This record gives sequence, C-alpha cells and structure tokens, in this order.
Amino acid sequence: MIFLAIFSFAIKLILHYHITWRMYEIRFHGRGGQGGRMAAEAYALAAFLEGNYAVSFPFFGAERRGAPVRAFTRVDNKKIRIKTQVYEPDYVVVLDETLIETEDVLEGLKEDGMVIINTQRKPEEVKLSKPVKCATVDATSIALDILGRPITNTSILGAIAKATGKVSIESIEKAIIEKFGERLGKEAGEKNALAARTAYEKTLIGVSQGGKAFVPRKKWLPDVNEMPVGGATPAMKTDAGLVGIGSFIENKTGDWRTFIPSIDKEKCIGCRFCWFYCPEGCIEMVDNKANVNYDYCKGCGICANECPVNAIEMKREVRT
Amino acid sequence: MNIKDLPEEDYFTSGHTACAGCPAPAIVRNMMKIFGKDTIVYTPANCLLVFSGTYPYLAWKVPYLHEAFENTGSCISGVARAYKKIGKKALVVGIAGDGGTYDIGIQALSGAAERDEDVIYVCYDNEAYMNTGIQRSGSTPYGASTTTTPAGKKIPGKLRHKKDMAEIMRAHEIPYMATLSISHPKDFLNKVEKAKNVKGFRYLHVFSPCPTGWRFDPSKSVEIARKAVQSGMWTLYEAEYGEITGIYKPKKKIPVEEYIKGQGRFRHLTPEMIEELQRWVDRKWKRLYGEEP
Ligand SMILES: Cc1ncc(C[n+]2csc(CCOP(=O)(O)OP(=O)(O)O)c2C)c(N)n1
Ligand code: SF4
Ligand SMILES: [Mg+2]
Repeated sequence: MIFLAIFSFAIKLILHYHITWRMYEIRFHGRGGQGGRMAAEAYALAAFLEGNYAVSFPFFGAERRGAPVRAFTRVDNKKIRIKTQVYEPDYVVVLDETLIETEDVLEGLKEDGMVIINTQRKPEEVKLSKPVKCATVDATSIALDILGRPITNTSILGAIAKATGKVSIESIEKAIIEKFGERLGKEAGEKNALAARTAYEKTLIGVSQGGKAFVPRKKWLPDVNEMPVGGATPAMKTDAGLVGIGSFIENKTGDWRTFIPSIDKEKCIGCRFCWFYCPEGCIEMVDNKANVNYDYCKGCGICANECPVNAIEMKREVRT
Repeated sequence: MNIKDLPEEDYFTSGHTACAGCPAPAIVRNMMKIFGKDTIVYTPANCLLVFSGTYPYLAWKVPYLHEAFENTGSCISGVARAYKKIGKKALVVGIAGDGGTYDIGIQALSGAAERDEDVIYVCYDNEAYMNTGIQRSGSTPYGASTTTTPAGKKIPGKLRHKKDMAEIMRAHEIPYMATLSISHPKDFLNKVEKAKNVKGFRYLHVFSPCPTGWRFDPSKSVEIARKAVQSGMWTLYEAEYGEITGIYKPKKKIPVEEYIKGQGRFRHLTPEMIEELQRWVDRKWKRLYGEEP
C-alpha cells in the first residue's frame, strides 16, 4: 500500500516536472544599443535564481546601435540542449514599437502565445498581424523618468514578469541589481530595479487588434550566371530594389529615432555647422536655412548640441 | 577652405547603418566632397566597411573595394599602380581604423609609405577595435576600459599609453601627413584639400570618438573631439617630408579630467590615474610644442 502511494506520488512529480512543466522560449526584438541582449540575459538570471535552467544569447550580425536586433531566452526545469535561435516563441518582447510597423513580430508565435510591447498605446490600440494576448507598457517614459536615458531593457523586464507570471518581480529586481549593478555600479543597479518595478505596476494586459498585412522585403538573390564577376556590383535596379553603388539610399533609418530635432527657422543663421556635422547627411540647406530629412535622421542630437545659436531642439518623438 | 566652400554634391549617401552619433560617416562624407568623383576608396574590415558596405548595398557613389584587414597599404598601392599602367587619373584612398593602422596593418602601411606610393591613407581613430565589440588596440589610451582591458579587480583598464602613430608616420618623411579632428572644420578641410593636391604618399589621421565603445551620449561626439584637442589628448599638426609645417595650439588648455568626464570607459579612473594621463599629455605637449604646457 505504502509502496503504491509513494509510486503514484513519484509519478505525479514526474508528470508535474516533465509533462506539465514545459520549456518556454522568449524572443526579444529591439534595436542595437537598447539592451535587448542584456534584458534576455537578466531574464535568464531571474529564472535561474528561482531554481530553473536558463540560457540566453543574442543574434549576431553586422548590426550596430539603432539597427533591428534579436535576442533569445530559454527556460526549463532541466538541462537545455537546444542551441538554435528561437523560431516558435511562447512570448515575444518588443523593446521598440517602431519594429511592429516594419516586420511581423508575431512570426512563429505559439497559439496561446503573448506579446509584450513597449508603447504608449493600450493593448487594444495595438495593430498586429492577428489578434493575440498583448501586454503594453510605456517603458521609454519610465526609463526617461527614472534613468534619464531611453534605455528600456530593465523596465520591460518588469512588464514581462507582470504579463507572464513566470518569474516574480522580486527575482527580476535581484537579477537586475546583480547584472546591471556589477557593470554600472550599485546605484545604477537599484535605479534599474526601480524602473522594472514601476513598469510592473503600470503594465496593461489585453488583446491586440489583428489584420495588419506585412509584405516581406524581397532579397536580391542572383544565380551564378547573374552574379557579377568577383562580386563587383555596379548600381543596378533589381526586383528587390537598388543594389551596388549608392544603393544604401533606399535604407530609411528614420525609425531608429527616439528624439527628434526641430529647427527654429527664425533663429537659424545658415552657418551650415549642422549640415557639416550630421552623420546621416540628412540636413539640407533650403533658402540658406537648415532643413531635416526625417527619412534618415537617427536622432543622435549632434546638430542640437553644435548649433551656435541654439536653433535646434531635441524632443521626444511621439509616434502615432 | 571653409564649410561654406564645400560642394553640395555627396559621394557618400544617407541610409548607412552606423550607430546614431558616430562621427565617422560625417568624416568620410566631408572628405569625399573634396576628393570628388574620380576617387577610388578601399576599406579593410572595420565599422566603416560594415556600416557603409553591407553587400550588396553600398553608401559609396564611387568605385569601392575591400580586401583583408591587414593590407590596406598594399591594396591601395596595387590599385594606384594599375591605374597608372592603364593611363587613367584617379585618386586612390584607403580608409582604415586604428586597429587596421596601428596594429595589424602597420607593415603594409609602412612599406607603402617608404615606397612613396601615390595614394592617400586615412586612419579614423576610435581608439579600439569597435566592429568586433570594443577590444583594446595600440591606440587605446591609458586607463580606458575595453572588453580586453576590463576595469575591475585585476586591472584598472588599459595599462599602457596610446602609441604615437602620427609620429611614426612623420618619421617616414612622406610628402604630407596631418592629424585632423572633425571638431575643427576649417583646419580639417584645409588639410584634406592639401592632401588631395600633393603627389606621393599622404597620411591623414582623424580622431573619431565612438559613442558606443567609449560609452557617452551620442550627441556629444563632436564636443568630445573638441575637448580632446583642447586638452592636448589629440594634437592637430601637419608635416611635409618629416618637418612640422603647422601646429594648432588651443587658446586655452583644459585639464584631462575635463576631457574624460562623461565617458564611461574612464568612469573608474582614480585621481592618481588621471594624474598619470595628465603627465602623458604634458610630455607630448612639450615634445610637440617645444615648451612647457
Ligand atoms: C585577419 C583578421 N583578423 C581579425 C578580423 C576581425 N575584425 C574585423 S573588423 C575588426 C576590428 C577593426 O578595428 P579597427 O581597425 O580599429 O576599426 P573599427 O571597427 O574600430 O572602426 C576585427 C578584429 C578580420 N576581419 N581579419
Ligand atoms: S561602434 Fe563606434 S565606430 Fe563603430 S559605428 Fe558604432 S559609434 Fe561608429
Ligand atoms: Mg577602431
């Protein structure tokens, strides 16, 4: 009798840990420099602190600060042997809301999956490819308030804790203090933990709108006969757009921005300093006044910092 | 030459993928305005290659090529000689990072300079290997924290001072060499124009603060370059055949402490370390200006 009871208890335990406890996977979408990778790592640490196994890694490419990047976290109660990127996530985390306009962040999301987005909008106001469980939080404002910089990776962790209930906010705070404190100092660690807690309290949970269509960006994939000799590529128009000399002009980098410059034409004296210094080459002189081409402006703020008459002001960009 | 004399025409386009606030694109765009359309550009592996030439996309509107990391000097020599052979006139320019110049590329560079190849070699100096994630180079200054000289319990950042690459190039007694900073536009443009019009080997060394690797606010890139010049961390001068022909002296010298403020890579510096950095600056100052700071 006793033997049977122990046996069935053991079976229950095994069932609990190996069948009901399913590995879950998170895919982070962010921009280089927003700290998506650190968020993925800190989340893994929080899960580890609660006695789980966890791994995290970024997608490596040529991406720089501001360019779209991805990072991944896997959590399980046993050793994790999978080493691939996450293709069918349980949760998708979006650190920069401009990313939901240009790619389908829901790609591969599991049936009962959920998306967590940094936006000023409510879940019901977010338009995605299909209606899904959705949590939103204005992580950028929280980060600006508490940290003074639009670095949203710690705030978003609080939102993940709230939305998924998979790790406690306390473990998130601990992980942040350990991870960020080590790198940036104790005070910064604590501030970041506060950002996470604040986001935790402000996260809204609901269901997104669906129906947004995405046309996947075509790639130029020449076959061996079409391939120019030695890869030497003259300027060419292809179905996938321009390639070769000067073709980067089709890459609009304006959606990298958090802050947007606005130029007071009355104050501008036409000195051309901003025109000279702008790394994007996106300032044009119109009637001897500076004018920004917002298609390319990444919002670095050098123009505002260098303008000798303070004619340029950087403002938080509100995207609608 | 002044900013207002620069042509509108660009040979380096928008849409490249440099980090926000990286001054390197502004450096090359403005240089290209002067070099003009009959230019051929070579870059080895570095940030510039990756953010302006992500195959099949290119931000350059002139012929452009890249080969290996270590052979900028040889590649531009070869291109220049090929053009000479076919009798076409072209300005051949190689643009390498500090890693590609101070360290791995130094022998190819030295060889090309010694042979007096008819090319322009540009080094944009962001004081570390940035493209691969901030590893120290021969250019990284004393005390700076990088991923291979991480400031922590074992070491307080880089233990050695910055190598004086500009002086190494001056010692080659080449027709023209100059150090530049984007924060001083008039000086910058005059030197680029001069380099264009000299024949033989020309070396331009531009200071290029990196917001990502040095950990500062992207809006401060130009301001930090300016402070580097004002503090003496970076000295603007030019030389012909090894003789210094011009040197810019800051009106007011600021302490090194003011330059390093706001740069995360120096955040851990103790007062003693700041003094050590200041002593290095003062020695360099005395050597170049021939007087006590
Ligand atoms: C022989 C060789 N070794 C290493 C590399 C990897 N690599 C590519 S770019 C780079 C760093 C370049 O540093 P730097 O020249 O200072 O330019 P930056 O990226 O800092 O602008 C390295 C190490 C390589 N491409 N080739
Ligand atoms: S890592 Fe530094 S040098 Fe490279 S693109 Fe970014 S800011 Fe420029
Ligand atoms: Mg470098």
